Amino acid sequence: MQWKLLSPKKIVLPNGKEVLEKRSFIPVMWLILFILMVLAIRITGFSLDILVHRMQQFFVILQQMIPPNVAYLSKLWQPLFDTIKMSLLGSIAGALCALPIAILAATNITKHKGLAMMCKFILSLLRTLPTLIIALIATFIFGLGTMAGTVAIFLFTIAYVGKLLYEQIENANMDAYEAMQSMGLTTMQAFRYAILPQILPNYLSTSLFCFEGNVRYASILGYVGAGGIGLLLNESLGWRSYENVGMILLMLVCTVFLIETTSEYFRKKLM
Amino acid sequence: MIEFKKVEKRYPNGLLALNQINLHIEQGEFVAIIGLSGAGKSTLLRCINKMHDITGGTLHVNNVNVHQLKGKHIRQLRRNIGMIFQSFNLVTRVSVLKNVLVSFVPNMPVWRKVLGIFTKEEKRSALMALDQVGILDKAYVRVDQLSGGQQQRVALARTLAQNPQIILADEPVASLDPVTAKQVMEDFKRINQELKMTILLNIHHVDLALAYATRVIGVRNGEIVFDGQVDEINEETLGFIYHNTNQERGVTNYAMEAAVTEKNSIA
Amino acid sequence: MNAIEKQLQLQPNRRMSYIMTIGIVCLLCIWSVTTIHFENVSVNGTKIAKNIFVGLLNPDWSLIVNWTTTGIPYLLIETMAIAFLGTIVGALLAIPLAFLSASNIVPKPISFIVRFLLIIIRTIPAIVYGLMFIRVTGPGPFAGVLTMSLTSIGMLSKLYVDVIEDLDKSILESMEAIGCTLMEKIRYGIWPQLTALFLSIVIYRFDMNLRDATILGLVGAGGIGAPLIFAMNAYKWSEVGAILLGLVLLILMVEYMSNRLRMKLVKG
Repeated sequence: MQWKLLSPKKIVLPNGKEVLEKRSFIPVMWLILFILMVLAIRITGFSLDILVHRMQQFFVILQQMIPPNVAYLSKLWQPLFDTIKMSLLGSIAGALCALPIAILAATNITKHKGLAMMCKFILSLLRTLPTLIIALIATFIFGLGTMAGTVAIFLFTIAYVGKLLYEQIENANMDAYEAMQSMGLTTMQAFRYAILPQILPNYLSTSLFCFEGNVRYASILGYVGAGGIGLLLNESLGWRSYENVGMILLMLVCTVFLIETTSEYFRKKLM
Repeated sequence: MIEFKKVEKRYPNGLLALNQINLHIEQGEFVAIIGLSGAGKSTLLRCINKMHDITGGTLHVNNVNVHQLKGKHIRQLRRNIGMIFQSFNLVTRVSVLKNVLVSFVPNMPVWRKVLGIFTKEEKRSALMALDQVGILDKAYVRVDQLSGGQQQRVALARTLAQNPQIILADEPVASLDPVTAKQVMEDFKRINQELKMTILLNIHHVDLALAYATRVIGVRNGEIVFDGQVDEINEETLGFIYHNTNQERGVTNYAMEAAVTEKNSIA
Repeated sequence: MNAIEKQLQLQPNRRMSYIMTIGIVCLLCIWSVTTIHFENVSVNGTKIAKNIFVGLLNPDWSLIVNWTTTGIPYLLIETMAIAFLGTIVGALLAIPLAFLSASNIVPKPISFIVRFLLIIIRTIPAIVYGLMFIRVTGPGPFAGVLTMSLTSIGMLSKLYVDVIEDLDKSILESMEAIGCTLMEKIRYGIWPQLTALFLSIVIYRFDMNLRDATILGLVGAGGIGAPLIFAMNAYKWSEVGAILLGLVLLILMVEYMSNRLRMKLVKG
């Protein structure tokens, strides 16, 4: 990166040779960063003062959460399972639908360049919209409840898995694909037998990883009414019954920990 | 039967890859195509199964006009023609048997195609093809654990399972050591004599070409400059086929000498 | 023929495990189907979908050019500022935590405890943090910044640890041979390797935080989330359209720039 206003520095060695040293861009970057930080601090009202003085308030709530209300557990199971179901179905359906879209978006399989670009754009768009907003809109369309959450997770998974998938397809080894086309297989058949075996382990691994993240996301979705444990969270927070909140969080952490450990085990086996 | 009549291939940027090609190849011939890199050997081969399209002249394979074929018919043409590549073009993560089984895919019903389920009969045929090239014992081994020569034989088995009438081989032994190369050439000769398949071979090693083929076609700058039986080749014709600038003449002279001596010793 | 028959029998049979895996997945799917119901999709629902579409196509331009503190541009900038500061604070906090959880730098028990702590931090939804911080700072973007920092720590430390565990130790050996102190080794041996990769990770996280910051408005922690949900509850679809449009444009722009920056960082 050369800063055009500053010409390169000239260094003259004792034996008469000249060396041109390019001016570094880094000091300018630090300056820009500093300015942005000051601006951001002004805009958001960041104040170290307030932070230091009021920090213990943060722990007040935390203290109220412990010990958690174990009696609340019986009400938790159903919504917890709902949350898991939402993420499971959304992730599986999303991962399945991501494959055809990724195939269409890959320029080495789809001969029509315009179609490929459009699919890439759709995937980009879906990734851009925050999941919660999709869930919010979904609650208006599908009504409150788990359907909205499943739809939101479904769309997000398509975008996430789809992008990683088409990048892999485009980087895959096309030798065997060429051979199969010369044998008379159709494009789809050649894809299924030449490219799919190459991308399958990574595809499954990515989908599992997405599922992990989706479970955590799903817990928030309930906050906008999209079903699952988030609804109870919303309720308890509203009533300020922090012992209940503590219980919910405990269950959530255990569930996520379990799912992540199992998922990591399977992902290591796949690779 | 393959028939080229005044075939021409011109690329959009003006480059003339094939110029006035006239060729007639009968079923069951073993033809070696020799010439410098970039002379047009690969292009010639790939026009036959329509991997490349010709821009002039007519090309008939078994009395079918290749240029006019569309969609499903191109695939039917290709099912009858097998192709062997220099880089083997196998699915490396998958077993040898699965690679050979792919040849049966075009004829399978949809549900079995998608799920990848093969019948016992198909597996038996695939195993027989593997036996014919002598690697039956490696049937369940992953391809990337095999040597180059073994991989090329898997590719050969895959083509045999297809049961084609014509086999096109694009530099099949270029990546192999001399001993393995000879073994693969022996396989080609056996297939040609026992199964009566037409074999068209692109090859750099002129000595191997002269030792195993019956007919030789020399290509230079997109034109056919020699077409005749193996015993008609001599140093002069080779020089004509491989004619190049003065700087490279030393190399080509050496190659030609080696080829002619080899041929003489076999004869 | 005999050899071929023998090979046929020798076939490795993974069919059982395939069928079992697919069976389990199908069972899980069927169990989860209870989450799908179409009854609530009333006539209302499809009408709303159409309205959102229409709203997107004729956004309320007055909001977009409203340059005061209630207009969309300012709110978007506020959202960006929240994400920006939150990412920086989170990035700084995550560095020591990452080192503490890397098993090739600290002993195993410590790294295990720290990892568990990080999982807890990561799992608690941003909403909960938002509410807790509002008690500290009062409603507004400041709470948003603090929330974003905590939520970033989770993923940032995980990504940092991946980089740390892949460190090239050989340079430390050559520095030892020159006679450098520990500090010098860290500053000139380890630090250059880490900065480029850390920066790349941080920029990636900023991208994601921008999307999450929009949600904070829902709990009153500033940003564009609050006006969005008000507009939706009031069925003002062209306002919704305007906000969504602004949001999407912002994120696309930031994503484009962050991609270019990350490419430059990785390729030098």
